[in-house]
Amino acid sequence: MTVLTLAKALNEGLRAAMDADPKVLVMGEDVGKLGGVFRVTDGLQKDFGEDRVIDTPLAESGIIGTAIGLALRGYRPVCEIQFDGFVFPAADQIITQLAKMPLRSLGKLKLPVVVRIPCGGGIGAVEHHSESPEAYFTHTAGLRVVACSNPVDAYTMIQDAVRCDDPIVFFEPKRRYWDKADVELGAPGLPLGKAKVVRSGNDVTLLAYGPMVKTCLESAAVAEEDGRSVEVIDLRSLSPLDMGVIAESVNRTGRCVVVHEAPVFTGLGGELAARISETCFFRLESPVIRVGGFSTPYPPSRLEEHYLPDLDRVLDAVDRVLAY
Amino acid sequence: MVVVIEERVLGLTPVADADLGRMLRIRHFERALLRLFERGQLNGTTHTCLGQEHVPVAVSGLLDPDDYVFSNHRGHGHFLARHDQPDALLAEIMGRAGAVCNGVGGSQHVYHGRFLSTGVQGESLPVAVGVALRLKRVTPGRLACAYIGDGTWGEGSVYEALNMAQLWRAPLLVVVEHNGIAQSTPTTAQLSGSIAGRAAGFGIPHHRIESVDVNVIRAELEPLVTLARTESRPVVAEIAVHRAGPHSKGDDTRTPAELVAAAQGDWQPRYAEAFPAQFARLDEEQRASIGRIVDDVLIRPASVWERS
Repeated sequence: MTVLTLAKALNEGLRAAMDADPKVLVMGEDVGKLGGVFRVTDGLQKDFGEDRVIDTPLAESGIIGTAIGLALRGYRPVCEIQFDGFVFPAADQIITQLAKMPLRSLGKLKLPVVVRIPCGGGIGAVEHHSESPEAYFTHTAGLRVVACSNPVDAYTMIQDAVRCDDPIVFFEPKRRYWDKADVELGAPGLPLGKAKVVRSGNDVTLLAYGPMVKTCLESAAVAEEDGRSVEVIDLRSLSPLDMGVIAESVNRTGRCVVVHEAPVFTGLGGELAARISETCFFRLESPVIRVGGFSTPYPPSRLEEHYLPDLDRVLDAVDRVLAY
Repeated sequence: MVVVIEERVLGLTPVADADLGRMLRIRHFERALLRLFERGQLNGTTHTCLGQEHVPVAVSGLLDPDDYVFSNHRGHGHFLARHDQPDALLAEIMGRAGAVCNGVGGSQHVYHGRFLSTGVQGESLPVAVGVALRLKRVTPGRLACAYIGDGTWGEGSVYEALNMAQLWRAPLLVVVEHNGIAQSTPTTAQLSGSIAGRAAGFGIPHHRIESVDVNVIRAELEPLVTLARTESRPVVAEIAVHRAGPHSKGDDTRTPAELVAAAQGDWQPRYAEAFPAQFARLDEEQRASIGRIVDDVLIRPASVWERS
């Protein structure tokens, strides 16, 4: 076991993926010499060379487009989008090309491209460094969308993502980059598409992913002091959804709260609420409640504590579903 | 390859049967599409390359089977100049059995071997850079060829791609089919400066070709193609063409005078006049061949989408 931060776990995962397959490339803005703004690619260019770890111009559309071309001819590019808010110039390539080419070719054409996006707020930064754009991509057929929440998953999920033949948007919880955990290097993890029960409970199910998993775990610990048994599920895969694990839990607890940083309106929580009402209708004791950001641009850093879901808002939602 | 340009007839050099036959095949294919639309036997949309058929025929003569070709919304000619499969392309456009992509891609999204088209302007260029980089590393001497139009130069992705291609020395042949009009907007209203100047901004070699003579185009292209292959670098070939047909179907906004000018710039009547016997023979051959293909594809069942 080695104690690693989430950022370092991703770094070790990328390193293992590059060691395992010479076709794996890393590309993005400042990923080489600097090692990325969050140091996720730290040292990779030094160890694997400039041919495999490529500092690109400031050109998100060009980065993803070039990665698609490299993947067409056999490479497995891992692209870093420096911040969530910078992915929008690349949306054209991701949505119109990366997601659709494999579907249009009925699977004959494989595009094993990983688009890594540090996401979410809570680091005292600006709007385009703090956004949660996952719903744009889960709405797009043809993409796998995943989010890691902790160092152990980060280490294995990034390797699984690189090995996967599907295009993947890989969200990294920015404010958890510095969280530490024991990671067993070389050990496999839960498969990429699987959700995980990270805390067992019987009264309410909390569904979360990325940065909100930790918030939900802390909420569940506080709720326990009030005698409430709260189960927490880390979705891990946002598209496709692992409905088996989700339905098993909600059928048992009869109550569910979905938590994400992204705005509630037409966010992933809406899809989850609908799917749960379709699959668990006769076992539900209350409506599914969503906790998330507001329908505003992400606020300046001095206001972000009011924007981001926190313990109080999650516990309030737990109270509300239990009040039915 | 050295083309000896002599025996000029009406300004054109003698043309090989294979080249003129392909140009006429594409012409009859595109005309057949417009007829099918008129009769309501084809729906969706299409963009024909009427008047521009000679460009991909000239370019394809310089391409290696291992080169990669990226095409755009006006891509039937690009495909047919590279692949002798008009029946599979028509079936693709009509969603019938035997389609080159099971009818999923349609007119604008064809994936076949080393051919890939996309309808959104400029999107293919960064992808072509990626493929070119891979070809450079694995099979030096091979290149990625991307067809774009003059209108495409409004898209930002073109500049991201050219910047990367030149920085990273990608063997990329950009063929600009400059037909002077972006759907309905003339180049003068949508392009400031010049394509030559924009290529120069990146230090990328550029050459403009004015001829409609397939041999002349090929001869003028050859040094550029050689440069891309031997020195592994991007090059831009700008070829002046005339769009003889509408942007899509019946949506031509040009004035009668402009349409006359476009028709006068068309290669087809000039080749017909210069080489009447050869033209008549090949024209009839291709007219009949495409006619048979249309009849055949029309009675095929719908294509089946099966994931492989």
